[in-house]
Amino acid sequence: MKVLSIIAKDLKTILSDKKALAIILVMPLVLMVILSSALRGTFISGGTGDTSKVNIAVVKQYDMIRDSQRFDETLGGGLLVQGMGKESAEELKAASGDVDPEKLFFEDFLGSDEVAKIIAYRVEQSDKAHDLLNSGEISAVVLLPENFVYDMKMNMLTPFRNRVDIRVLTHPDRSISGQVVQSVVEAYSDAMTSVIIGKNVLVEASMEYELTEDGFKGMKGAMDEITEIIKNIRTDVDNMEVQGRKQISSFDYYSVAMLTMFILFAAGHGGRMLLEEKDNMTYQRMIIAGTPRLGIMAGKFLTVFLIAILQIGIMIAFSRFALKVQWGDTKAVLLISISAAFAIAGIGSALAAATFRAGNYKMASIFETAVIQTMALLGGSFFPIDIMPSVFQKLSVISVNGVALKAYLKIMKGYGASEVMTHITVLTAIGALFALVSVLILREKGGLKDAQYNQVKALKA
Amino acid sequence: MTLLQVNDLYKEFGSTKAVAGISFEVRKGEVFGLLGPNGAGKSTTISMVSTLIPPTKGEIIFEGENIFRDPASLRHKLGVVPQDIALYPTLSGYENLSFWGSMYGLKGTALKKRIGEVAEIIGLNGRLKDRVDKYSGGMKRRINIGAALLHKPELLIMDEPTVGIDPQSRNHILDTVLELNRQGMTIIYTSHYMEEVEYLCSRICIMDQGKIIASGTQEELVELIKGQTQVSLKLDKMDREVLARLREIRGVAKAELLQDEISVTGENVDTALADIIAKVTEHGRRISSIDVKKPNLEAVFLHLTGKALRD
Repeated sequence: MKVLSIIAKDLKTILSDKKALAIILVMPLVLMVILSSALRGTFISGGTGDTSKVNIAVVKQYDMIRDSQRFDETLGGGLLVQGMGKESAEELKAASGDVDPEKLFFEDFLGSDEVAKIIAYRVEQSDKAHDLLNSGEISAVVLLPENFVYDMKMNMLTPFRNRVDIRVLTHPDRSISGQVVQSVVEAYSDAMTSVIIGKNVLVEASMEYELTEDGFKGMKGAMDEITEIIKNIRTDVDNMEVQGRKQISSFDYYSVAMLTMFILFAAGHGGRMLLEEKDNMTYQRMIIAGTPRLGIMAGKFLTVFLIAILQIGIMIAFSRFALKVQWGDTKAVLLISISAAFAIAGIGSALAAATFRAGNYKMASIFETAVIQTMALLGGSFFPIDIMPSVFQKLSVISVNGVALKAYLKIMKGYGASEVMTHITVLTAIGALFALVSVLILREKGGLKDAQYNQVKALKA
Repeated sequence: MTLLQVNDLYKEFGSTKAVAGISFEVRKGEVFGLLGPNGAGKSTTISMVSTLIPPTKGEIIFEGENIFRDPASLRHKLGVVPQDIALYPTLSGYENLSFWGSMYGLKGTALKKRIGEVAEIIGLNGRLKDRVDKYSGGMKRRINIGAALLHKPELLIMDEPTVGIDPQSRNHILDTVLELNRQGMTIIYTSHYMEEVEYLCSRICIMDQGKIIASGTQEELVELIKGQTQVSLKLDKMDREVLARLREIRGVAKAELLQDEISVTGENVDTALADIIAKVTEHGRRISSIDVKKPNLEAVFLHLTGKALRD
């Protein structure tokens, strides 16, 4: 009963404090709108600030030998021979052995100095590549389609135009890295059109096989055609369509980012509550009234918990209706919210106990000014973690907001609640651990004595 | 009948002795005064009596029980009005009273009824809906008292409840204290205002530097300086040499400079006013005011410590 009265009183006090309300509720909503709009370009629609190397896997869905044999068979077939003459067909057949689409893609394109600066690739089997993508070890999978070699040879050496669909699979967690790969693969088609590669290949081939001047002229004409054909090489970015996950927009991201950052301010606010009670002598008055210290502490814990829940509820509702953000599975969102609020309540309680014991607000101030900002940065509340240097990405695991952010984003992308159970467990454990710490701090030798008495005030009289 | 017994009580903070071996008793139904200047140890004593801090040494017996044996069982019998306004300024008077009532276990209609009664006692019936930070200093003091009355304590401990308020509010509070006492409540009242203690208290302890330097009824205390009268003089210009001249007058026991006035004390010095005026005039000084004070607690404190209560 007393705990409930303390909670009700604390909530009334906070709701009547305009400054606290501005920080806890209004600021995150404003920042949510500003950041979502300002950084819209860095999400799905393209653009990137990624400066680190992007790891990708390339899956060969074609059979090199079979494609080459098929091409040779095509050259020997009736229709083509009829069109270009038997002699020319024989020459092309001989030349086709030296026209290598694989070399063009892997060595001349991915292995070029410029691309190698941005992308590191490995060739993998399809299953392995998907596993790597799911585990986050790579940012994208480039799928070279069936008949890739055959179609490319047809496009490069014959008047025919075969469609080549190169697909890029990206992971929703690494959407920006995925955009990098998409852009680079798109550049591949441009690179192919850039005459230099194509012409060199053909000129080298024609010179080696001593093609006649007419034939050479013909090849040059064909080169122009090939340039046009290669322009038709298509790159599609499928955002993990293999798993059917939703891609995150800037509005989605910054709704979560601001939510997970600003609930930290509830902990900061809670961190001041106990010492404020002591300074106002209301703590002592509660003790005199027979209120147990743990009861007062429990009241503060639950107050911070409810403030965090209130913040989360308002921010989710605002982003849902004003920004059209889809949060995903309601039960999972509820579970994450409760566990995140629990973690925040634990941190707030420990901070309150430590601030109370220190007898000044330095600790709470440091938390609000430095710790929250650091956690926000590490946890991805300012910028997505996957564009941060790897050191920061590793450090992000220590930020409670980062854990909550990852969990919310997973649910947003369409994962099930079971996929975020680890996050929920971690958040709950953080809350329990810090709540225990707060009790230990107050129980520590001298802690209760300090708690009971405001020495300065007593000596004053 | 003794309600509270304090025996040889000490409280030390490091090397500072805030309370140094005090003993006194509070009788049921009386208003007991603790008088002393700031820093005398009154609030530390109050903090111990209200179970907030344990003593370094000594014991406090309430209704025959050491209060630190099971403080939780006694706390509902004690009401404490702290020196500071221990309230939530952004909440209304009603919300504050409701919260403190719930801290003492009151709820529902009983709590509402009691809030109404307390509001009547402290004279804030029409203002309970206003936020406390909109109250005047006197109103804040009154609601601070009200929060300690909700559970109808047997012993009300009031620590300097009139500090920093206007005379009208002070009179209201003093009348409230008397009324509560008339209704049977035992009260410990601490103050450094001599007039308040004189007005309210049947028995008084005078404290200085953590010790009780005198105790008893007002009459008993004044008896300590029987016949000692004090004459206070204000001169156009203060001059220490005048003090030596005044001490030459027959019957003057003490002549000293206290802040902006000269205090002359001695047996029946009021009868030597002509000599006092003559000595000052002879020295070339003019008297701007003269005040003859009958023996009172201020004079007792001055007599015992050599300093004024307000020092």
